[in-house]
Amino acid sequence: MAHMNLLKVENLKVHYPIRTGFINLGEKKFLKAVDGVSFELNSGEVLGLVGESGCGKSSLGKALLRLQEPTSGSIHLSGNDFMGIKGEALRKIRPQIQMIFQDPYASLNPRMTIEATLREPLEAHGLCDSSEGNKLVQQVLDRVGISPKALQKYPHEFSGGQRQRIAIARALVLKPKIIVADEPVSSLDVSVQAQVLNLLKEIQREFKLSMIFISHNLSVVKYIADRIAVMYLGKIVETADRTDIFKNPQHPYTQALISAVPIPDPKIEKMRKRIELKGELPSAVTPPTGCTFHTRCPIAKESCKKDSPQLENFGTSNWQVSCFEVKSRPSP
Amino acid sequence: MAILEIKNLQAHFHTRKGIVKAVNGISYSLEPGQTLGIVGESGSGKSVSQLSYLRLLPSPPLRIPQGQVLYRGQDLLTLPEDKLRAIRGHKISMIFQEPMTSLNPYLTIGSQLIEPLMIHLGQSKKVAWKEACDALTRVGIGEADKAMKSYPHEFSGGMRQRVMIAMALTTRPEVLIADEPTTALDVTVQAQILELLKKLQKETGMAILLITHDLGVIAGMADKVVVMYAGRVFEEGPVETLFEKSAHPYTKALLKSTPRMDQLQEQIPVIGGTIPDLSQLSSGCPFYDRCSYKKDICQETFPLERKLSSSHHTFCHVEEL
Repeated sequence: MAHMNLLKVENLKVHYPIRTGFINLGEKKFLKAVDGVSFELNSGEVLGLVGESGCGKSSLGKALLRLQEPTSGSIHLSGNDFMGIKGEALRKIRPQIQMIFQDPYASLNPRMTIEATLREPLEAHGLCDSSEGNKLVQQVLDRVGISPKALQKYPHEFSGGQRQRIAIARALVLKPKIIVADEPVSSLDVSVQAQVLNLLKEIQREFKLSMIFISHNLSVVKYIADRIAVMYLGKIVETADRTDIFKNPQHPYTQALISAVPIPDPKIEKMRKRIELKGELPSAVTPPTGCTFHTRCPIAKESCKKDSPQLENFGTSNWQVSCFEVKSRPSP
Repeated sequence: MAILEIKNLQAHFHTRKGIVKAVNGISYSLEPGQTLGIVGESGSGKSVSQLSYLRLLPSPPLRIPQGQVLYRGQDLLTLPEDKLRAIRGHKISMIFQEPMTSLNPYLTIGSQLIEPLMIHLGQSKKVAWKEACDALTRVGIGEADKAMKSYPHEFSGGMRQRVMIAMALTTRPEVLIADEPTTALDVTVQAQILELLKKLQKETGMAILLITHDLGVIAGMADKVVVMYAGRVFEEGPVETLFEKSAHPYTKALLKSTPRMDQLQEQIPVIGGTIPDLSQLSSGCPFYDRCSYKKDICQETFPLERKLSSSHHTFCHVEEL
């Protein structure tokens, strides 16, 4: 086998059944949170997953760990099927892919000391003989910049930023290959946000981790990610290297999204033109026909209402766009 | 003349654990038609300072040991409750961060919208209803009649914030206090709402006091900016000056530590440490522990105002940054 991706996701779908009415008669309805997502993640790569609320980015993140069981599709981890396995086989693979959540106030158990929190994953996976475990726990805690005195303390004794460091330590303790971080800095203040972002970046490089960084904040994603995927209504509409996508976004949604992000510089801000999107995000229960973005797209044509575009290469192999109006770039 | 002038305002919370000095002697003023941006991180006192003089916080625990808040020359702090009520929600309106929780889920949009009109302007229900419909149309809500009969849960976050804005503007306020009005919204919706606020300001000439932690929003909206930290004002100046020639170490550090979409950053300089405990403040500068320019004097006394131009001033002992 030639080049192998660390993570390969094909046509992944997460559909949540919804109740309609008092008695469920007739057809069952589904909320299509993730509706056919495919991507690959290389070893040591950081993929930024961006999109607005309801685009399915968090559902996708949870589905990658099978915290939310995907409805269909396939996930391969280092070439091995991750979707079909269960029981002991699944438990064996799980340490390879770990998660960091948005709200460090909710993701740490208030009744567990930091030591118990950090040891639990080791014990659950039977990786902990006690002296080695102690050493490992202290190492990761030290690495995220928390003093060893913290071990006997409880989460409420820490600030938001410190808690997020502890959550990072918990994800690291199993020595994963992939970390899925879902809005890890969104609840933090600017000055603390920068500390945690830098820590994540350092750790990612040091341990050559792969990371899926989910965020609604494009400025943050640009800082940390190598490649970016933009989601809209359960689908990836564009993916490219960070420099390309910010310099020259192709999909009309990506263009609108980037134009809406405020830049902290009054001179630049006064010159900018915003692409305003019409209307509201359509329901993911009954998504529009054809291209799901056609209801708000400034350049939609009649045909966009009928046919759904696929992600197609745009120039480089790293750049893919899902839009009929984007003509593939002639190769140089 | 300034329409709203805050002079040396303090707001303290008396709690069992001691006195939390949320606002610790701040001064600034707002001119008609102007947008004043107030930036600061959580706990800087940016919201409390507004809520305190509008008497929207329970007292006790809140106490205002000193200060003046002058609206058209009259001190809101000493005004009797009924007089204040005639101003609050009428001449000075407020929109809050979370449009989900600031509308009453049990009442229709219509009945909430006509309330200020009937109370403050003494309009009949019929007249108020028509005005409210117009207000909804102005903020970009189509089929206003239908919207008036709907309940808040039937609207998305962006639409609810539009309703809040419509409600705040029906009484034609002179001052609109917008406390993180777009923080809970998606960026494309944020862009719509900010654009709407700008448009309405042009039409009505109201002054906007915009509270936010987002420097990008400030850059696009504010004429003048006040930077707050731990209950103090650190710097005040016109928006361009403040971004280009910031004269306070905190402002400088804050600007540098913000990730920017228009730049390729390899490393963001960080501000080490965390904000101080507001119940245990010293007499010195509250930024002392985190400041990279600190001098001995900073630990002992909080600096006096230092003018850099007629419109730009800072509170810092260090003159060369």
